[in-house]
Amino acid sequence: MKYLVLLPETLVVALAICVMLAGRFAWLPATARRYLPQATALVVLVALGVELWAGATVGSYFGGALLQDRFALFAKAAVLLTAAVAVATTDWTAEDSIPLGLAMPLLAAFGVMVAASAADLLGLWAGLELAGAAGVVMVALRRPDLALRLLVAGGMASALVLVGLAFVYATTGNPNLAGIRAVIGNEAPALSLAIPVLLLLGGLAVRAGIAPFHVAGLQVGLGASPLGAGLVFGLSAVAAATVGIKLAAALVEIPDVYVPYVQVVAALAMVGGGAAALAVRSPRPRLAYLAVSQMGWVAAGVSTHFRSGIGGSLFLLGAFAVAATCGPALLGRAEGGEPAIHGLGTLRPVRAAGLALAMMSLAGAPPLAGFFGELAVAASLAQSGSFVLLGLGLLGSVLGVAAVLGTLRVLYIQSPLEESRRGAAAALPAVTALSTAGAVAFCIVIAAYGVFGYPIMGLADQGAEALGLR
Amino acid sequence: MTMLAAIVQASPTPLPAPGAGVFTSPFLLSLLVWVPVVMAVAIAFMPNPRGRYDVLMKQIAFFTILGLMFILFIAYNQFQNFLPTMQYEEKVAWLPAIGVTYHLGIDGPGIVMLLLSGLIGIASVLASLGVRERVRAYFCLLLLTQASVNGAIVARDMFVFILFWAAAAIPLALLVLGWGGPRRSTAAWRLLGYWGLGTGALVVGVLALYSIAGGQSFDMDVLLKASLSPRNQIVISVAMIIAAATRLPLFPLHGWVRDVLAEAPVGVAVIVAGATTRLGAFLLLRTVIAAEPAAGHLLSPVLAALAAMTVGYAGLAALRTVDIRHMAAYLAMVPGGITVLGLAAVSPLGIAGSVLSMFTGGLAAALIAGVCATLSERAQSRSLSVLSGLAPRMPNIAWLLIIAALALLGIPILASFTAEVMTFFGAFKNQPIGAFAVAVGLAVSAVALAMLLRRVLFGSPNPDAPGVSDGSLGETWYLGLLAGGLLWVGLFPGGPKIPGTDFPLFDPGLLNQMTAGISDIASPYVAPTPGATQ
Repeated sequence: MKYLVLLPETLVVALAICVMLAGRFAWLPATARRYLPQATALVVLVALGVELWAGATVGSYFGGALLQDRFALFAKAAVLLTAAVAVATTDWTAEDSIPLGLAMPLLAAFGVMVAASAADLLGLWAGLELAGAAGVVMVALRRPDLALRLLVAGGMASALVLVGLAFVYATTGNPNLAGIRAVIGNEAPALSLAIPVLLLLGGLAVRAGIAPFHVAGLQVGLGASPLGAGLVFGLSAVAAATVGIKLAAALVEIPDVYVPYVQVVAALAMVGGGAAALAVRSPRPRLAYLAVSQMGWVAAGVSTHFRSGIGGSLFLLGAFAVAATCGPALLGRAEGGEPAIHGLGTLRPVRAAGLALAMMSLAGAPPLAGFFGELAVAASLAQSGSFVLLGLGLLGSVLGVAAVLGTLRVLYIQSPLEESRRGAAAALPAVTALSTAGAVAFCIVIAAYGVFGYPIMGLADQGAEALGLR
Repeated sequence: MTMLAAIVQASPTPLPAPGAGVFTSPFLLSLLVWVPVVMAVAIAFMPNPRGRYDVLMKQIAFFTILGLMFILFIAYNQFQNFLPTMQYEEKVAWLPAIGVTYHLGIDGPGIVMLLLSGLIGIASVLASLGVRERVRAYFCLLLLTQASVNGAIVARDMFVFILFWAAAAIPLALLVLGWGGPRRSTAAWRLLGYWGLGTGALVVGVLALYSIAGGQSFDMDVLLKASLSPRNQIVISVAMIIAAATRLPLFPLHGWVRDVLAEAPVGVAVIVAGATTRLGAFLLLRTVIAAEPAAGHLLSPVLAALAAMTVGYAGLAALRTVDIRHMAAYLAMVPGGITVLGLAAVSPLGIAGSVLSMFTGGLAAALIAGVCATLSERAQSRSLSVLSGLAPRMPNIAWLLIIAALALLGIPILASFTAEVMTFFGAFKNQPIGAFAVAVGLAVSAVALAMLLRRVLFGSPNPDAPGVSDGSLGETWYLGLLAGGLLWVGLFPGGPKIPGTDFPLFDPGLLNQMTAGISDIASPYVAPTPGATQ
């Protein structure tokens, strides 16, 4: 029974492998293959149920390499929910391969789960790489050239992370996060630690797509399939943020070595993301820049190095995961710029509502999940006296909301494109029972996340407490 | 004056309405906030093939607002004006990790604002009955706006207040963007920009207060009663003043008002001028005057200066413009300036006048914005060089325009007279220069209004002007409702009485109801010398 806690991971990995093998060897008849997305979403929901039921038991596994605490419970539940909703909302006619398209989000989710439960540096790195690799595979299905670019950028980020981790290990003599914290607690901040931490966080910033390191991931995401883009903007970034939060908690005794850097990056991401979202008109880049802006808020919460700030960041990260991953999936094939979604509110009301809510949540518009998360982070910024960062964040949010307003106008006020002018790039998302149910589920999740956020925010707070923060 | 004296009593004990407090509901205020949201969602997902149910959607929106008004009338009648505490309170823990409670409640100023919101809501829907394009989206957004205004009024938790305050901007900007005039894009972006700035200032102010108060709760009962140093009070109050100035609007943060009120569809112009903008004054009352007395005293000259600049600028700008809707937009700024002057008086009489002025100013601003928009639509022109001698051809609208002008100037019989008398009596004592400057600005506005009436209504008819028709039944009704509200409160400020008795007939009187809580708000300002700290 002790290992029941690991059943969600087992289910997710087993399902991913089964789906890939079924696709590779054509095990399933064509009629059964049609139901693969439904079955996958169902199994992931079962895994989520098991996680919520069994994951409350705190414990350590594999000689202390994996920890099941409230932080792990929150992060794992959030990514499982994200994966289930993403699989359900995706327009599978717009994807290049159904088996790989189903397997990669599961593997990315598994990567986040590993990173969330990791008790040492190795686990963090493994989880990060796994999530990143899933993104590369998804991009490669459509654009191998872009996948190569992502691979190179990811490789450089990995190198930075590895060098940073190695230096941290060399400085502290301990690969375990709790051990690192114990050793660092007795030392004064030093340049010898600040430089590797800078490298480490630089690598994570590339992985998370935070401005000004967002260029590689963003361009690649724009060329990927809808779900591939969601994976790059969403789950891959969530993996990096999860690692960042755990490392920040380990280094919390000497915040001077990372806080200034995180503050600068957060400010750039919040304002830059919002401004860029306003500058572009096409919906997918706008979604991507809004995601960059919200990731800046997550970083801002981390920079407070208090329990309330990290708790707020964690809560926001859950909202970000769902919106950033499912947003491009809801957008579907509408890659022909803004005209592709003209009047989508009339033609595909449920998907349009989902897309609108995803964008509004990423921009931090009330009363959606992102608004509650950003305000929780803002409260902690005020408590830590970071009013400049708070002001910049609010500026970024206002710019983001203005950008979203432009998209809302296109979705609901503009007349739909004439069918004769609607090319392949502006094709409407296919309507299936699963995708409609997925879009409805997404709307409910993104609206209810904050409005009924009592237990969720409580769990995020406990997650921050589990990291040993005060 | 006897009536005014009664209002400023420290412990008002007006006669309660018969049966006051009999009807109680644990979720009365929630109904006012969430029913429009539920109906908006219902409208959004209602099947409407080829616009077949457009009329039904309009009816749903109208009866929703009418139902809210019925609930509100019950709340108003059952309101116990002898209690200084919050009433109809609802308090549920929401996000305890950061100290957020779903806390709603109203006092005297709150019930006045709710009543204003209800009246403006009905007028707005009636004014929108002529909408033909994308009816579903329009009424959906209108109901969401109404919900956010009601939510901001009844919020007793600053987090909840921010939520509704910020939420109002999005549907309004979309309404302007989707159904506005030729310069709608500029108007919508300006609205969003200014209101975004105001929301940012509000968030910074509230979070600073939250952090100074210990970071445990966003509840107004905690935050607004926290013991703050005068320096902190001033910093927070300045943030709140910026937020209020963008919303009310006050000079120099008024840059959105001309474009929005001129370009928005009539129903939206009515709700913006009448209800959403009054939230700015409500914020000032709640957070600066009621909560930070030291800052209230120190910043009252600043508030008076802002009021004077606003009224003066509005009058001068109205004199110079040649567009009737621009003129209406500028004139709609005048009541806001008078409200702020009352707050700047930091005296019980001034504050009471200011609260009444929120109601009367909202109605007057909505009336002038609405009547000028309707007139320009009916006369097919916005140019003052074209519009001339229309009174004989549109008698209903002419009468309503005259009432709007008189209401803005505070002429006896209309409710704005009582409000302005109280405001100026309070202000001339504590802010004589500011009050004089506002009075001068009001005189300039009077000149602008006189020119408007003389030219548009009573000038010689323009033979080259397009055809003109009088207001439709719906237009006359919505404008009549606003004018009727002003007349009713002007004629019966204490409510109609059963002949020969002091018992109210069915309306306990707006002046009686609004006193609940004002004595508490004004209590720090009763002492002759200001206290240094709370």
